[in-house]
Amino acid sequence: MSSVKLDRRQFLKMLGVGGAGTALAGCDLPTTITLEEGKEEVVSYLLPEEYVIPGVGVYFASTCTQCNAGCGIHGRVREGRVLKIEGNPDSPVNTGKTCMMGQAGVQTHFNPDRITAPMMRKSGRLQTVTWDEATAELNKHVGAQSNLNGGRFAWVTGSVSGHQSVLINELMAQLGSTNHYAHEVVNASVWSAVCQDMLGDAMPRLRIDKAGTILSLGADFLGTWISPVHFAREYAKFRSPAKRGVLVQVETKMTLTGGNADLWVPARAGTEGILALGIANFMVDRGWNKVEIPAAVRAELAEYKIEKVAELTGVAGSKIQRIASLLSERAPGLVLAGAPVESSEQGYASVSAAMLLNIIIGAVGTTIEPATRFSEKALQAKAGDTKSLLAFAKGLQEKRFDVVFISGANPVYTAPDALKLVDGFESVPFKVVFSQFPDETTQKADLVLPMYSAMEDWATHVPAYQTDGAVLSVQQPLMEPLYKDTKGFGDVVIALLKQRSKNYEQFPDYYAYLQTAMMNLPEAVTGPKPVKKEFWNGLLQKGLMVTKGDRATLSAKLSVPVFAHAAHHEGGHDDFMLVPSARMGMFDGRHANVPWIQEAPDQITKVVWDSWAELHPEAAAKLGVANGDLIRIASEHGSIETQVFIHKGIRPDVIGVPLGQGHEEYGRYAKGRGANPLKILNPVLEQKTGELAMYATKVKVSKTRKTVKLVKMGGSDTQAGRQFVLTVSADKLRRTEGEG
Amino acid sequence: MTPPIQDKMIDENLKWSRINEDVLRSMENPRRAYWITFAVCLAMFAVAIAAEIYQYRTGMGVAGLSNPHMWDMYIATFVFWIGMSHAGTLLSAILHIIHAQWRKPIYRFAEAMTTFSLMTAGFFPMIHLGRVWNFYWVLPYVSDRGIWPNFRSPLVWDAFAISTYLSASALFLFIGLIPDMAIARDHTRGWKRKLYGVLSLGWRGDDRQWRNFRKTYMIMACFLIPLAISVHSIVSSDFAMSLMPGWHVTTFPPYFVAGALYSGCAAIMTLFIALRYFFRFEEYMTLNIMEKTCKLTFAIAMVWSYLNLIEFAATWYGHNPYDKELLIDKATGPYAGLFWLMIFCGVIAPFGLCFEKLRRNMPAMLVMSVVLQLGMYVERWMIVAPTLSMAHNPHQWQTLWGPIVEWSIVFGSFGWFGLLFLVFVKLFPSVSMYEVKELTFHLKHEIEEEAHAAKHAQGEAHGHHGTQGGGGVPVMAPAAPRSGKEGS
Amino acid sequence: MSFKNVLENFSNFRKDAEHGGHHTYEHRWGMAVDLNLCIGCNACSTACYAENNLPVVGKERFAKNQAIHWMRIERYWDPKDEMYPEQGASFLPMMCQQCGAATCEPVCPVAATYHTPDGLNAQVYNRCIGSRYCNNNCPFRVRYFNFYSYYESAWPEPLQMQLNPDLSVRDKGVMEKCTFCVQRIRAGKDKAKMEDRKVLDGDVQTACQQVCPTGAIVFGDTLLPDSKVSQLWKAHQVKRGPFTQKTPKDDADIRGYRIFDELNVDPSVMYLERVRETEV
Repeated sequence: MSSVKLDRRQFLKMLGVGGAGTALAGCDLPTTITLEEGKEEVVSYLLPEEYVIPGVGVYFASTCTQCNAGCGIHGRVREGRVLKIEGNPDSPVNTGKTCMMGQAGVQTHFNPDRITAPMMRKSGRLQTVTWDEATAELNKHVGAQSNLNGGRFAWVTGSVSGHQSVLINELMAQLGSTNHYAHEVVNASVWSAVCQDMLGDAMPRLRIDKAGTILSLGADFLGTWISPVHFAREYAKFRSPAKRGVLVQVETKMTLTGGNADLWVPARAGTEGILALGIANFMVDRGWNKVEIPAAVRAELAEYKIEKVAELTGVAGSKIQRIASLLSERAPGLVLAGAPVESSEQGYASVSAAMLLNIIIGAVGTTIEPATRFSEKALQAKAGDTKSLLAFAKGLQEKRFDVVFISGANPVYTAPDALKLVDGFESVPFKVVFSQFPDETTQKADLVLPMYSAMEDWATHVPAYQTDGAVLSVQQPLMEPLYKDTKGFGDVVIALLKQRSKNYEQFPDYYAYLQTAMMNLPEAVTGPKPVKKEFWNGLLQKGLMVTKGDRATLSAKLSVPVFAHAAHHEGGHDDFMLVPSARMGMFDGRHANVPWIQEAPDQITKVVWDSWAELHPEAAAKLGVANGDLIRIASEHGSIETQVFIHKGIRPDVIGVPLGQGHEEYGRYAKGRGANPLKILNPVLEQKTGELAMYATKVKVSKTRKTVKLVKMGGSDTQAGRQFVLTVSADKLRRTEGEG
Repeated sequence: MTPPIQDKMIDENLKWSRINEDVLRSMENPRRAYWITFAVCLAMFAVAIAAEIYQYRTGMGVAGLSNPHMWDMYIATFVFWIGMSHAGTLLSAILHIIHAQWRKPIYRFAEAMTTFSLMTAGFFPMIHLGRVWNFYWVLPYVSDRGIWPNFRSPLVWDAFAISTYLSASALFLFIGLIPDMAIARDHTRGWKRKLYGVLSLGWRGDDRQWRNFRKTYMIMACFLIPLAISVHSIVSSDFAMSLMPGWHVTTFPPYFVAGALYSGCAAIMTLFIALRYFFRFEEYMTLNIMEKTCKLTFAIAMVWSYLNLIEFAATWYGHNPYDKELLIDKATGPYAGLFWLMIFCGVIAPFGLCFEKLRRNMPAMLVMSVVLQLGMYVERWMIVAPTLSMAHNPHQWQTLWGPIVEWSIVFGSFGWFGLLFLVFVKLFPSVSMYEVKELTFHLKHEIEEEAHAAKHAQGEAHGHHGTQGGGGVPVMAPAAPRSGKEGS
Repeated sequence: MSFKNVLENFSNFRKDAEHGGHHTYEHRWGMAVDLNLCIGCNACSTACYAENNLPVVGKERFAKNQAIHWMRIERYWDPKDEMYPEQGASFLPMMCQQCGAATCEPVCPVAATYHTPDGLNAQVYNRCIGSRYCNNNCPFRVRYFNFYSYYESAWPEPLQMQLNPDLSVRDKGVMEKCTFCVQRIRAGKDKAKMEDRKVLDGDVQTACQQVCPTGAIVFGDTLLPDSKVSQLWKAHQVKRGPFTQKTPKDDADIRGYRIFDELNVDPSVMYLERVRETEV
């Protein structure tokens, strides 16, 4: 298939001019209606562009926005509509691959529940209005004539980067507001904080492909952590015959990455950091440390003897020793710490312990490399976190906001009930939601501005996690907008910016702004003396620019974290720690409205179209529940009901409820399905960073009398003696390696 | 021990006109019981039609089918109905060739049962198709696409076999009916006379016609026997030719044929009792004949049980893990209840037929025949479903119970069969009048011969050389040689 | 249909590929799936849905196993796991194995499934009358039936705009299964023809292969000696042909095998054993 790239103007030409193009884009598949009946307008391809061969797809480069990794994509476009997403081979982030969420991007775009026109709340209900009305209302509250006090304005977004970030900052500055809350449920903010403090760089490059042993403390790097597709590419090298890497996963509930581990270790919740220190101590004792250990550090480490650590973590001493041996023998090692560790009460301390172990085993400089930052700071990613949600909720409680913008976030869904965010939000006088879908937050808005989907809009993205060189990834429309009354995010913001600043008058839309802004980047970024047409075409053809960027330098601060208390949970028979895990697919709930995602079985449990509560067989036996029984899970701040799923990949004192379901709105595929564990989280904070500790909620589980049919794929949990997946021991291979 | 009751197969002094009267009376205007039964059958059939329309328009999903479980009650019922058809052939053809006289009063309705169960069975391969309207593609015809059916497929063999068997059986039934149609023609008036007149093909009953008739009948019988055996063997090859555990069994052809004969005999018992009661055919469908039918059923039951056990034994010591696990699952898994029901109904229950008291007890035999048929239906389903539930790939294991749509259609097929049968018994003689007459004749002749022989033996003992040979009752030379043993 | 023809070709039947087979193959598409690299992420399954117009059937019908997922990831636990699955889970991408001696082909009453000269097991949707015998005879159970007119509910407007026009949307009553993205094979062959050259390795990528983040799926022409997939088959000592591989695996690094090999169905998909550190 031809893979020709073109720019927007040529693209429009291809579709016919202006309005005719949109008619084509909105075309149905051919029906049996004949020409004679005159019911369809047939636009002939008398003058197509040379490269358009009817029946052959044309590929355009863009960027996937289904999560924040910033993978480059190619969209296959035929007859004016995007059909399939493939990876962009030129992007160092994903080198030509995508994940299932990326594939589902087309269904996000063509979703039947998209908002197609602006809506305004009139007499208590949201009603469709014209853009003129919407703009007037918007200007009334936020425009140049509005007298808005910047301190009373708040903007909640997700992670932002690229020129969208610039525009948001500009508008915030114009309005005189500092209340920008970048909120993400799935984030690596504690990891970043520790990396910054202990290594001097917030997002160093993790060379999974170079590692011999990976000790992952709950980091689901193949599923949801930071940049899963990139890590999967590296994982393939990690598992190659040349490397034969060993993966040890320590977590309370099995994630996708845990499912691929050579050794899965269910340590007690909250004790992963102690485990890391125990391993560090053992290694230093044996002299396996790769860096000099100051005496003070040595003394602090010495507390974490194997027996004590084994008792606290629930991991056998021999196992701890074995892991330590692996890190030493099968060097270089790499220690990661993900959401279950980060998002606990002593998450910062735990991640610090992991980082300390990294330093001790000499990972810094071998498997942890300095990142290459994109040199334009304004375009760098502002990663979202949960601290911002807490701050926003507090602001709402204190009634500090008169006008709130929400874009790329759904706080009404993601906020725990304990924060009382919903009430606070409802009492804000003017709420504007920039949204594609009728999600929970949108349904509470006063003004709904319907946005283009990622396949209709322009944007630039600078991934937070950079790999080889510093990437700026371009997102371009893959087809004409489906609905004439939707607008691009950048277009709306520029219109607002124009009211208070002459700088934006020259830009009719975001596209024009982007072109100019990109051209105005320093030569270090764009290359010497770029000529606009070639530069822009080249950029769009490739879909991204890879620049040298600014390489950070890594330091290594050896410090032993202090754990305020042994954070382990000894539960009664109906007392559990709640594990609200994100997964590749539903993610944090944003993809619940995509049918492919709902129908795709969860990778570990294979459950579809619903939520579930994972219980270990022992726990289930104690409770007296079986698969499909509905149970009530109650924290101090609420309760949810969902079906039981029993399997051994979870600790008996832990109950795992996946994120993603439990939507009260959000369209036909998501609404009224399953339970949302975020709602019942107790407002426990991570002690150092102030992040919401999502994995620190204790719950009580009780039976209800109800049972539902557990719907999952797969009629047998074992291979029943068949030879399907054969596993060969790496040990056997090592014995024959080197022969022939 | 009480000696076995020696009653007669049939009263040899039964007047032939009486036979005509009795049988023709059964064809007169139906009374209330008939109409009630007819209404019930019609209702059942209507339910099936409604279910089928729903399924036709919505898709096979309403039948509860799935990957892996793509065949369920429809195929089981199909095999069941085909199986039921064999007993008619057994009685009318096989027993005819070996000159079992006792079949004569009962083979007519048995043959009708054959034809009608084939007509019922024929629906199922069609309605279980996803695209029913294209069913004729399995038939070889010159199509404009130049494509023929796949002759390697057992389903195509099915199409051939069943259509051949159906047409042959119908023809056989029709031919056997000709002399009776003539009798009916001579004794009725109005539209019925016209009908029977056409159907009797101008039968006069003269010597030449009888001779031709006998020859034709014999040839057809000889043709039909291998056909019957091959039909069910071919139906069994639907399963045996696949490689699924539990299906890939070489003993399936004889096993299915034995099962067919088994369920057919049981069905004969049921219809025997029903007709005997409703039409008051006690003179013709005597207890003696009932006993013989029961014994035949028992013999076949033992054959079937043996073949069943052999299948288990071969699976057991064959050590093919798929087959073995499946067998264990059949006996202990979710379908275990039905498995043991099948064993009970099929292997253990027939031992009730060993007791003379039971054999001669009509209500008991009615229950027994229904139990045996139930067992055989469950057996058919146990062949189809567990294999699909638990085949090679454990990821696709699934227990399935049929939903209401399947039950409705299966249930309704009995209604359809009932309708056909009810129409038959009112329009056509369900007891073969001419063969019954032959039976009485033979019995009379035998008794006289025995009496004659006894007299002779006596006479010789007393040294009489008196007049011999032609004395006494003139004996008409029978067309067919005397058969072997009569009675017990 | 001469007798001579039958006699001549009879001995060709079931010849293995090394000796010519009973077809003259232009291509013989094959796959190698490295279970060591498969992480079970479901990207391949979703890509298959996108590429091949697979309908989403919803919860109720999924519960009855009436879903259509040509490529499915089977997840197995080790029965020897005691308290925890310490060695993780086993993921198996399972799709139609395009068997050389396919068991589904002989049993279709209307010949709706047959073997192509490319070595694929083709399903002709408009010939299928839906007897479903083919799936009953498939040991892998990788055939899927349209139990309903799924298109009535699977693509509410404007979702139907995403449908791939290179292949059809199937109506109820028709069997379907993985085709090794035959529409892409067709396109690749057409392109090569237009450019007056042979089809090279890499010209055709199946959707699952293209998307797999770890590159666990390798697809190509096993008749091309230098294609990646041929090299893998050769390196891991798996041969085509309807027989069970008897090669003793003396070298543990030779990890290739086929599933249900003992049934002699000659799958075109080779799996590579997953390697796990068991000494931990």
